[in-house]
Amino acid sequence: MNILDVRNLRKQYPGFLLDDVSFTVEDGSIMGFIGRNGAGKTTTIKGILNLLHVDGGQVLFEGKDLHANETACKERIGLVLGEFNYYKRKKLSAIAQVTRRFYADWDETLYQSLLTRFSLDTEKKISELSQGMRTKFAIALALSHHAKLFILDEPTSGLDPVSRDELLEIFRSIIEDGEHSILFSTHIISDLEKCADFITYLKGGRVLCSTDADSFKDAYRLVSGEAEQLERFRDRLIGYRAHAFGFTGLMKKEDAERAEGLKIAPADMESIMIYTEKEDDHESAAL
Amino acid sequence: MKALLSKEFKLCLHPAVFIYLALILMLLIPNYPYLVSSFFVCNAIFFCFQQARENGDAMYTAMLPVSKAQAVRARVLFVVIIEAIDLVLVAGMCAFSIVSMPHQNAGGTDHGLSLLAFALVLFAIFNLIFLPSFYKTGYKAGSAFLKGAIGVWIWIVLCEGLMIASQAAVMVPFFRFIHENIDCMPKTAQAWTVQGILFGAGLLIYAVCTALAAHLSVKRYEKVDLQ
Repeated sequence: MNILDVRNLRKQYPGFLLDDVSFTVEDGSIMGFIGRNGAGKTTTIKGILNLLHVDGGQVLFEGKDLHANETACKERIGLVLGEFNYYKRKKLSAIAQVTRRFYADWDETLYQSLLTRFSLDTEKKISELSQGMRTKFAIALALSHHAKLFILDEPTSGLDPVSRDELLEIFRSIIEDGEHSILFSTHIISDLEKCADFITYLKGGRVLCSTDADSFKDAYRLVSGEAEQLERFRDRLIGYRAHAFGFTGLMKKEDAERAEGLKIAPADMESIMIYTEKEDDHESAAL
Repeated sequence: MKALLSKEFKLCLHPAVFIYLALILMLLIPNYPYLVSSFFVCNAIFFCFQQARENGDAMYTAMLPVSKAQAVRARVLFVVIIEAIDLVLVAGMCAFSIVSMPHQNAGGTDHGLSLLAFALVLFAIFNLIFLPSFYKTGYKAGSAFLKGAIGVWIWIVLCEGLMIASQAAVMVPFFRFIHENIDCMPKTAQAWTVQGILFGAGLLIYAVCTALAAHLSVKRYEKVDLQ
């Protein structure tokens, strides 16, 4: 079953269009939501949560219209929109005291254990925390009310590698029971390599693809060749980087298998994203 | 709603609210336009909105399991509670003055039910202008307050001007009626009746205007994109 079903979400801004964004998040899975800065990831998340007044589309949470049942649905969603940047002069304890009242399922024991795990001192003010610690506090709040779905926008930005790894471990443990899911937006692709089951790739406000992580990676190949081969394969290259000894680039799997004389290697998510975005750079360079 | 209201008082309440509420002591100043003390409460409300905005309250609240409409209604209720506290204090000061130091206020409205009625209308004007104006954007507190303050000051000048005029032109029947029934500490049955009617009308105007302000604010805030 799909815990979240986003259908044709649309939002028009001057100079930007979030164009019929559709994807689903399955129970017990982590959906990686990727795209460049400005691709529309945060706009989509805000649209899902009704923080933006969308021009069209529907969001179903556990089969129910999220916007029509906003309060009940949001109580079952753990939300992290980057670091906790609100009421910076207030102590963590004061913020938590206010926040916990909104959740019937608030678990104080779990919250306290997360504070200990993240080494958060509740007597400190938000302004006294580093960016990473503020993110950890936001995560602690989001995890403490037994949400079914976690929507995390850049949750690992600003965290050190050890904390990021620890967090990814927590994310994996959350979905283990098959009843919880995570929608995880980030541009730190290596984090998604470690934990995402599915990928939705947003480019210029449109969903380029939404599929399982293995199929996503398997659909592409990294290729490299001599400089003189570039002209022959340029049309089939999604994106490439030319250098003194030749070129490296990205091709669709079927194109790469038919390309004779090129070195072929499996593609990782980061390369797929970099070369896919480079496609536009080459187009604009040609213009 | 209880959780939201608790959030308003624990996070959004600006310390200036207490200071401006304390300015109710201005009602002890002899010969002073006492309605001004209620304007200071509007000022305190503006500080609360400004503080909430600067602390990213709109986004923090939107992340909680509440709708935009609930967030707006809670804030309006928060405003109503602050204004109600001021009105109770005004009533207390009026009672104190009537009992312990009765005098004619040459600077404007006298201590009495009419002062409360005028204060109610003052808050009604402020709420009706300030709240929908603020919630049109969700962040422009300054311009919303300026518009609200202009409305409030027009009302203060009108009321206090009329009361001062009634003292000066007591020979004119219309002004004499005001002077003997509205701009006075109510002692006669007629004065109590007139001021009671004014107070009732003030309450009604306050309730209608504040409900309308809440309705417009909710409607406008629904269209705001939180950034």
